[in-house]
Amino acid sequence: MLISVDANDPRPIYVQIIDEMRRALVIGTLAPDDPLPSVRQLASELRVNPNTVSQAYRELERQGVVEVRRGQGTYVVQASVNGSQRRILARDVALRSLRDANRHGLDADDLIQAIRSASTSHHKKDAR
Amino acid sequence: MTTPLPTSLRSSALAVTTRALSKQYGAQRALHDLVLQVPEGAVYLLVGPNGAGKSTTLKILLDQVNPTAGTAEVLGMNPQRQPALVRANVGYVPEQLDWGYGWMRVGRLLEHHARYFPSWDAAYATSLAKSFALKLDQKMSTLSKGQGRRVHLVMALAHRPPLLVLDEPTDGLDPVMRDDALGVLITHIADSPTTVLLSTHHVTEVEHLADHIGVLRDGELRAQMPLEELRRDLRRYRAKIPVGWQGTSLFGDAVIRRVTTRNEVDWTVWGEESGVAAELVNAGAVVCESAPLSLHEATLALLTQEIGK
Repeated sequence: MLISVDANDPRPIYVQIIDEMRRALVIGTLAPDDPLPSVRQLASELRVNPNTVSQAYRELERQGVVEVRRGQGTYVVQASVNGSQRRILARDVALRSLRDANRHGLDADDLIQAIRSASTSHHKKDAR
Repeated sequence: MTTPLPTSLRSSALAVTTRALSKQYGAQRALHDLVLQVPEGAVYLLVGPNGAGKSTTLKILLDQVNPTAGTAEVLGMNPQRQPALVRANVGYVPEQLDWGYGWMRVGRLLEHHARYFPSWDAAYATSLAKSFALKLDQKMSTLSKGQGRRVHLVMALAHRPPLLVLDEPTDGLDPVMRDDALGVLITHIADSPTTVLLSTHHVTEVEHLADHIGVLRDGELRAQMPLEELRRDLRRYRAKIPVGWQGTSLFGDAVIRRVTTRNEVDWTVWGEESGVAAELVNAGAVVCESAPLSLHEATLALLTQEIGK
């Protein structure tokens, strides 16, 4: 399946669908001119209300990521696959982590420092 | 008794509405002053414990039970005055399977049923029966509970009615079949726009399908609102409190679930998040967490809340 949603994730489902589409663009599962699954198909696969999928597609269209071709469906826009999707994705991940950190009584500096040191030891492990 | 929970919708176009609907079975009160509001195009989830009045409500909408007082309106019609017209426009899966057609084979029953519905789509009925793994040459009397439920689902969906009334539609189905039925229902909604009024105990399955909820307890509607509102305004707060804290009865009935220990509160509160948090802080508490509830948790909280008299 192209995307998945998580019932335990506090993000609303339509936001999760948008984020998952962005992820698919960044890692290359979705390329320019690719069609998105139909609303009916994706809603039924994810077991969510068709209106929720429509809402996600409308928002992606508003952001210029996809376009609706009359009578054909929804397609990825050529210009959408560039650094900006990657930046948006990174910002969203950062926001979620920051919220989680705050809940645990940590601030942004604590988090940044921890990410640096975790990333260093992560890379060392990979090199071994 | 005061309730902070909303019981009335702002929506204007309603597919189903009841006014001061009451039902009395002898001395037993089944429904009291029910004002049900199901918006057009909604997937409305009716929850409540057994005996809360869910099936009675749905039966009144289909003219299978007469109300003691009040009226119902279904697609602009009064089911007690225009029962045939209402039934022709509603796909109904009843709670109790009572066929009276035990000798009939499934395929024959579907053909028989089709004659009552001008909009019956025979090809769709066949494809539904196939996706529910039903054998058309099987006798009705030999069907299991789950198979009977699936026959009813085919009968409810195949005429693509503007309203579906589903009373425990997945009762008796195994988990795989329940999930399949959910997929079929979602595809149906995407293809044939309709209003759905659904009662089920398996709320988690329809958590992302339903968009409105009504909570019935003891024949009364305790809450009725868009699910978006429930997710936003019913939250669980955890806060540190000083020893001897004076705020233990803060928010009154707006606290749906109240667990207070010596140095911490773990409360489920109905209200706008920033307002609730600010009031906790004002009272000297340190809010550590404010989290939305899953539909399962929210339903449990609403159904077990001790109601002050």
